[in-house]
Amino acid sequence: MKSLTIKNLSKTYFDPYAGANVTAVHDISLRVEQGEFVSIVGPSGCGKTTLLNMLAGFIPPSGGSIMIDDKPVKGPGADRGVVFQTFALFPWKTVLENVGFGPRMRGLPAADCDRIAREFLSLVGLEHAADRYPNELSGGMQQRVGVVRALANNPDVLLMDEPFASVDAQTRMTLQEELTRIWQERRPTILFITHDVAESVFLGDRVVVLSKGRVLEDMPIALERPRVWEHLIEADTFKALSAQVLHKVRSA
Amino acid sequence: MINRWTTAFTFAAPLLLLLCLWEICVRLLHVDARVFPSVEAVFSAGLETIEDGSLFQHIAASLGRVAVGTSLAIVVSVPLGVAMGLNPAVSEFLSPLFRFFSVLAGIAWIPIATLWFGYGFGAITFVIFNAVFFVVTYNTLLGVSSIPMPLRHAAASLGATGWTLLTQVILPGALPNIVTGIRTGLGFAWRGLIAAEMIATNVGLGYMLFLARDFYKTEVIVFGMIVIGIIWLLIDRLILAPLERSTIERWGLVRRA
Amino acid sequence: MNMARQLWSIYLRFTSRFPSLRNIIPFIPLLAAWTLVTELGVFPRAFLPGPTDVLNAFGTLTYKGVLTQYLEDSVVRLAVGAAFGTALGIPLGVLVGLNARIRNAVWPLLLFFQAIGDIAWLPILLVWFGFSLTTMTLVIVYTVLFPIVLNTSLGVRSVSPDLHRAALSLGASKLRVVWEVVLPGALPNIITGLRNGLGYGWRALIATEIIVGTSGIGFMMFDARRAGSVVEILLGMVVLGLLWYLVDGWVLAPIERATGRRWGLVTQ
Repeated sequence: MKSLTIKNLSKTYFDPYAGANVTAVHDISLRVEQGEFVSIVGPSGCGKTTLLNMLAGFIPPSGGSIMIDDKPVKGPGADRGVVFQTFALFPWKTVLENVGFGPRMRGLPAADCDRIAREFLSLVGLEHAADRYPNELSGGMQQRVGVVRALANNPDVLLMDEPFASVDAQTRMTLQEELTRIWQERRPTILFITHDVAESVFLGDRVVVLSKGRVLEDMPIALERPRVWEHLIEADTFKALSAQVLHKVRSA
Repeated sequence: MINRWTTAFTFAAPLLLLLCLWEICVRLLHVDARVFPSVEAVFSAGLETIEDGSLFQHIAASLGRVAVGTSLAIVVSVPLGVAMGLNPAVSEFLSPLFRFFSVLAGIAWIPIATLWFGYGFGAITFVIFNAVFFVVTYNTLLGVSSIPMPLRHAAASLGATGWTLLTQVILPGALPNIVTGIRTGLGFAWRGLIAAEMIATNVGLGYMLFLARDFYKTEVIVFGMIVIGIIWLLIDRLILAPLERSTIERWGLVRRA
Repeated sequence: MNMARQLWSIYLRFTSRFPSLRNIIPFIPLLAAWTLVTELGVFPRAFLPGPTDVLNAFGTLTYKGVLTQYLEDSVVRLAVGAAFGTALGIPLGVLVGLNARIRNAVWPLLLFFQAIGDIAWLPILLVWFGFSLTTMTLVIVYTVLFPIVLNTSLGVRSVSPDLHRAALSLGASKLRVVWEVVLPGALPNIITGLRNGLGYGWRALIATEIIVGTSGIGFMMFDARRAGSVVEILLGMVVLGLLWYLVDGWVLAPIERATGRRWGLVTQ
């Protein structure tokens, strides 16, 4: 069982424009068990993106530790897959080549990479787009590719950085439902960063509310799965939970 | 706090480092003065040219030619470019012509220029005029024709006609392209100047370099090269680049990478 | 006004099948004007010969094999110089683009040496290597180097950091990121740099051939000038312009457009 343990994580950096030190993350401790879906929500500037960047290894923490099982994490790596808000698909590679990138980096033969890529593309119904280039796809399709590209590499943890913020509202709801479906099928460990309260409640087993670099609340979400928007949007439980989270976010 | 002194220093530091490296290499490797001069030799040769006034003569000649050729060219090409650019049909039709001549700008005209104007000021100024003219006209044409029609309509519906339209909308709108054209054209012109001065005259920076070569006076050559580099750096970095930046960036048309 | 608009519309529709005609047809009135000016004898024939004279010279010199030889010499020199310049320039550009410290150290040097310009190096190169092919090639290498280094580094820096991070989080090593992400991402800019570099290189070649030359189009023009034969000067200019115009328009620019467009990237 691979769990992610974050202990007393902090990040301070020097802002040349302010001419002073800025603490983005004060003291965050968190534990995520294998197969959990944890949503992290908070207003802009609460440190959630900094947190994700530290978990992904893109920036070094100022203090504290990040461990996968008992191994400390240093720098980026294939054990922590990332899905970006900007999709970050390689424009000069086809969809198939994008999804097969991770396996290729691991040294698998081309045939295997293609096979794995096609398998994951069919998860989101995009096998037919395998030979297209990213700029030929819509935003929603691109992000689906982004998600399966990260998943195809079988990471220990999937870090998602406001992945659906760049698509329109309708597509967003479809993508959220697809994500939960994929998650139920494959059970990856997911850490999902968002500023959208409803999205965080819809997706997660737990919602962690962040504010000004600290954890304000860690709430379990006892909603049944599979979760579908048409049911939940009217459900009292969903509305109550969302209201609770919103209240917490705003109270900061 | 980044101020101008720090930027000036960070810019000069690598060059000064190179200077030291140069001196060390020449001393350590006992390089023959005819192959590469020492810093000291260059410095004293330079001092000589300053003292006997020849450096100023050369610089004045070169810069004079550049100034005359460039100003003439701008005065002719901007109005021409505007006139052509205003009509989309005309600008589209004539673009290939100007693109073609932009390629020939400058150096390629040296032989025929010396035939038409003889050796000296006329030929060289013509080469410079030529280099700037085609490039600036083409860029002005592009700039004017790429002003979005809605913008021109908006101006017209606000009562701008003729002269006001020109000065308030067309020229400012095309200004970034014009400035880019001037900067590029001047670049070609400067190169053409040095080449032309090596071939077609007996005063000027290019000539100074070429003459020194005849006598294997490498210290004068290197000094001349440094002078040329500094002058162009000053012109390009202190005048042209800030001009380009301020027109483009201030009006939010293009963001610097 | 309407007449003109009609004419223009006819022109557009006529050339819509072969848009490249639009790059050729505008020269027709120019040629016509040129012929007219020479026929009217506005300038003495010795100063400005007509298109037919130039065409004749073209025929004679090609027949004698002189023009083709000179052309070959010039083109080969440019190609060799450009090849070396590119081989040096791209790695340097990648290095400068990726590493901020190197960039800060090297940038002022790059700007200064670029400011000196290729031609200004001729005298000292002549002292070192004499009137030889080496001198000419070195000038071309120098000329081509700077646009390539500058554009490559620009392209490298324009690759979105998210793309770097995506590759890293998919298990790529830093070196593989350069090969898989940075170079392809910078390719449109690299090609722009190559295109610019070749443009400058072509000009520098002419100047070098004039000053150093034993053969080549530039030499042909200057030699003709010494002999007072304007026709060949004009021929040289026409050949120069035409060659570059064709290569740039039909080979380089489309490549630039194609890489930019296919990858959905935008080029300057």
